[in-house]
Amino acid sequence: MTKLLLVKYSEIHLKGQNRPYFQNLLLKRVKESVRPFTRDVQLYDSRIFIRGILDKEAAMEAVRKVFGVHAVCPAVEMEKADFDAICRVAAQIMAPLSGTFKVRARRADKRYFLDSPEISARIGGFVLANQPNLKVDVHQPEHVLHVEIRDQALLYARELPGVGGLPTGSSGKAMLMLSGGIDSPVAGYMVAKRGVVLSAVHFYSFPYTGELAREKVLSLARILSGFCGVIKTYVVSFTKLQEAIHTHCPPEYTTLVMRRLMVRISDLLAEKEQACALVTGESIGQVASQTMEALAATDLMASRPVFRPLIGFDKIEIIRLAEKIGTYETSSLPYEDCCTVFTPRHPVTRPKIGKVLEAEAAIPEAEALVAVAVETAEVLFIGPEAPLSGDNP
Amino acid sequence: MNDHMVYLDNAATTQPTLAVIEAVNLSLSTGFFNPSALYKPAVAAAKEMENCRQLIKDRLQAEQVIFTSGGTEANNLAILGQLSGSRQGGRVLYSLGEHPSVKAACQALPEGFLATGIPLNREGVVDMEAFSRLLGPDTRLVCVMQVNNETGVIQPLLEAAKLIKEKAPGAWLHVDGVQGFLRLPVRLKDFGIDSYALSAHKVHGPKGIGALALGGKKPIKPHLFGGGQEAGMRSGTENIPGIAGLMAAIQGFPSTQEMRARKLRLYEGLRAVIPALLVNGPDPYGPCACDHILNLSFPPVRAETMLHALSAKGVYVSHGAACSSRKSRHSETLKAMGISQAALDGALRFSLSPYNTDEEINTAVNAVKEAYQALKEFTRR
Repeated sequence: MTKLLLVKYSEIHLKGQNRPYFQNLLLKRVKESVRPFTRDVQLYDSRIFIRGILDKEAAMEAVRKVFGVHAVCPAVEMEKADFDAICRVAAQIMAPLSGTFKVRARRADKRYFLDSPEISARIGGFVLANQPNLKVDVHQPEHVLHVEIRDQALLYARELPGVGGLPTGSSGKAMLMLSGGIDSPVAGYMVAKRGVVLSAVHFYSFPYTGELAREKVLSLARILSGFCGVIKTYVVSFTKLQEAIHTHCPPEYTTLVMRRLMVRISDLLAEKEQACALVTGESIGQVASQTMEALAATDLMASRPVFRPLIGFDKIEIIRLAEKIGTYETSSLPYEDCCTVFTPRHPVTRPKIGKVLEAEAAIPEAEALVAVAVETAEVLFIGPEAPLSGDNP
Repeated sequence: MNDHMVYLDNAATTQPTLAVIEAVNLSLSTGFFNPSALYKPAVAAAKEMENCRQLIKDRLQAEQVIFTSGGTEANNLAILGQLSGSRQGGRVLYSLGEHPSVKAACQALPEGFLATGIPLNREGVVDMEAFSRLLGPDTRLVCVMQVNNETGVIQPLLEAAKLIKEKAPGAWLHVDGVQGFLRLPVRLKDFGIDSYALSAHKVHGPKGIGALALGGKKPIKPHLFGGGQEAGMRSGTENIPGIAGLMAAIQGFPSTQEMRARKLRLYEGLRAVIPALLVNGPDPYGPCACDHILNLSFPPVRAETMLHALSAKGVYVSHGAACSSRKSRHSETLKAMGISQAALDGALRFSLSPYNTDEEINTAVNAVKEAYQALKEFTRR
């Protein structure tokens, strides 16, 4: 008898000829996630089996965070010949539970001496006789004991939901515009969940914002990397551009021009990174720069799609997601990533693109400043552990 | 210290002197014994500790000295220890400029007590008229600090003690002396002070050691229970290396006269290049300004921006008080003084040590000037 973890995936089943590609990528990600615990990870029968684990709970937590995992089940594997032994193990598995249950048997080995209904009935009867806390309900049971007869017998009753999505690396790369706020890490999470590898760009304006604000953003990237692996993060010094915008543009247009130049820089960095899209945490109408007109004006600066996975979300819904993925607390730290000096009192909410272009044209050598910002961007590789400086992963 | 650093955040903490480091080192390496033990070297360690206690007693004219982990614990011990020994409830008064370790303790009082803040005037001095009105026979405890950690104002302790004697003779006067200890003379019995908190790391000693000195009126109740050290007032094996460091810090603390001159040099230097400068607190030349702290604003530049710009130039100052600067809100003390929003947004604290040099002051003045020139154009529109 061996204890193991059974990992189920969901959407990959829908894939056709590409299925092995997704399966193998998921296998790789699951292997990475349990590397501290075991190296015995195998894929067969459309499931992933993890054996040789001592710290089961910690390993399950790690696997549940892997994109593409539908559920993780702690299971028992044993010889199928001795049916009485199977019954005893079944009763043992069900011992801590109470309420209603049923047994769902699957006989993949059609030569087995009992058929599926017979297996269910006999094991169910044994459990019922030995566990007074349990009653049978075959329609809406609180617990389901799964018994599978393959080369061996496999039993499990607990199923912990995984995060879902597609395995990281199956969908290309995107450039996340990451601030210290609540929204952008959640937006990054949602895109990463669909198998996208993330790079990130953060804009900071020393001395208007400080070291702690920067550290906060790097902490957020670190939390995200727990789901999607190392995030190559560009930290762009935006001070010169920020000051130039403030000096040359009409106050009501400064925020929008700033957003546009940030998108421009992100787009150039995305080009460098061969990222297929930009990702932002914007939601319609949340602030002045997120009205549809303003979003349209910023989109013009990008030469690739701008994904806004939170576009239809209310703030409260975003906060709930942030809490779920564990970024909310860090996002709520007080260090501002934009100095109030640069937030106009009355920003334009329905910008006319002509006016925007006019405001932007007033900045002398904007394109040169953008180029300098791109060239001097600091590159950090942020993984679940401490961040690494320098240019090598 | 680092060649490129000008450290002007001495109200937050100070650099231990070489003598202090040596004293701590010696104690850790050869005097590590438990002072409660009965063999010779342990008795010697206990004796060293008693020497330090006596030194503080003599300096402060105190009846009893209890070593604590620092200023916060000393303030808590005085306030909670005094009140839990008080049979009937009553009123507790604290100045609105008190350090959080006093304010928060006053707000965590046992049932039956009512805590009230004493207003401050524009300079940050306790408003004596308001104080006099608040005092009454039901006043059990009054907390007024010696020197405010944010503005550097010196509070009129003698006057406060006199008022208490007149209007609330039974009340206990606790003084947070963390910023004033060694920098200003104080004699507990002559002044009418019942308890006085001090901390070593604000006077070039090590962190993790401080003391509560008692004037000797009546006993207070302990809040840490265990082995009964410190006459039962503060259980836990004594921090012998810390006490050795505190002793060296007290013995080696230099005169503060030149520091006052340098503080004024800084003030004059800044005023000459930035005429718009505002002082948040007492007139730096005035009698109620301490020797080491200057709280200034350079409108329209925001404190945080200036602080970051100065930090990039190796000049380290603080905004508000360092203890609470991680909270993104304005100083309660400055708000209680009723200063303008522009001044609040820009309030920076420069705090000197006797070891700062004229060159360092010049460097700081130049750094502020350069940062101000670069930043003053960028105001919210």
